Amino acid sequence: MIGNDIVDLNNIKSNWNRSRFLDKVFSKKEQQIIFVSENRPQTVWLLWSMKEAAYKIYVQQFGIRFFNPQRLVCHLSSSTIGYVTIENKTYYCSSIISKDYIYTVARLNYLKNYNSSIFKIKNDIYVTQSESLKYRFLKTISISKGLKFKNLSIRKNIFGVPKLFHNDSKLPIQMSLTHCGNYCGYVYF
Amino acid sequence: MDKNELITKLKSIVKPYIQDEEAFKNLSEETDFVKDLKINSANLVDVILDVEDAFDIRIENDEMEKMISVKAAMDIVNLKLK
Repeated sequence: MIGNDIVDLNNIKSNWNRSRFLDKVFSKKEQQIIFVSENRPQTVWLLWSMKEAAYKIYVQQFGIRFFNPQRLVCHLSSSTIGYVTIENKTYYCSSIISKDYIYTVARLNYLKNYNSSIFKIKNDIYVTQSESLKYRFLKTISISKGLKFKNLSIRKNIFGVPKLFHNDSKLPIQMSLTHCGNYCGYVYF
Repeated sequence: MDKNELITKLKSIVKPYIQDEEAFKNLSEETDFVKDLKINSANLVDVILDVEDAFDIRIENDEMEKMISVKAAMDIVNLKLK
């Protein structure tokens, strides 16, 4: 299983400086990491994207949705490598930090190879983003797996987890999609 | 608080963050903040903080955990206002 998350740093509509925001999302220890970091906003959204990417795997694994970012605990081993724990579960994270976005891929097995892509789109309207992302992802699958584009589709299960289908059969491909502002990313193996 | 009054108040709170107009128009107790209204999770934090401010309550993280639907949010607010 795999999960990803992208944050468009120029299109963040949440103000993390808002009173009580950090307490809802980060433990005291994580807030400490943020406060001592050279670039606080960047660290806020790095830890956030790690939690989001890990949460996406958790939902796939257990079919349980919840909203409590503090239950996901971030551990950083370097500026872009780390892991997230949810109770006794561990999710390994690799992030990419640029001046415009932060992108994290989380996985259960850190040795697992995956294909990942990030791209920019002009429109930041949700529906358009979501459609362009699906289109780009399905095009890639179509080419790499030699399957007809028109027979491919993405269907969400009751927990909102996207699954890849060829006609009516689910393909044995693990995937995750993310978009925020003008940036999209997909990952699969 | 009266159920309709509460839904109306919650509707005005989530309005700035929704990304699906159609689902917002049809908002009911069953509406899911993420799956239906497509509120991104960072904005879900804002929704929770706005709910706290609007009703002058404080929601603990373990209570917040289930607040992914209008119904769940209504239950928490009612519990807190008792």
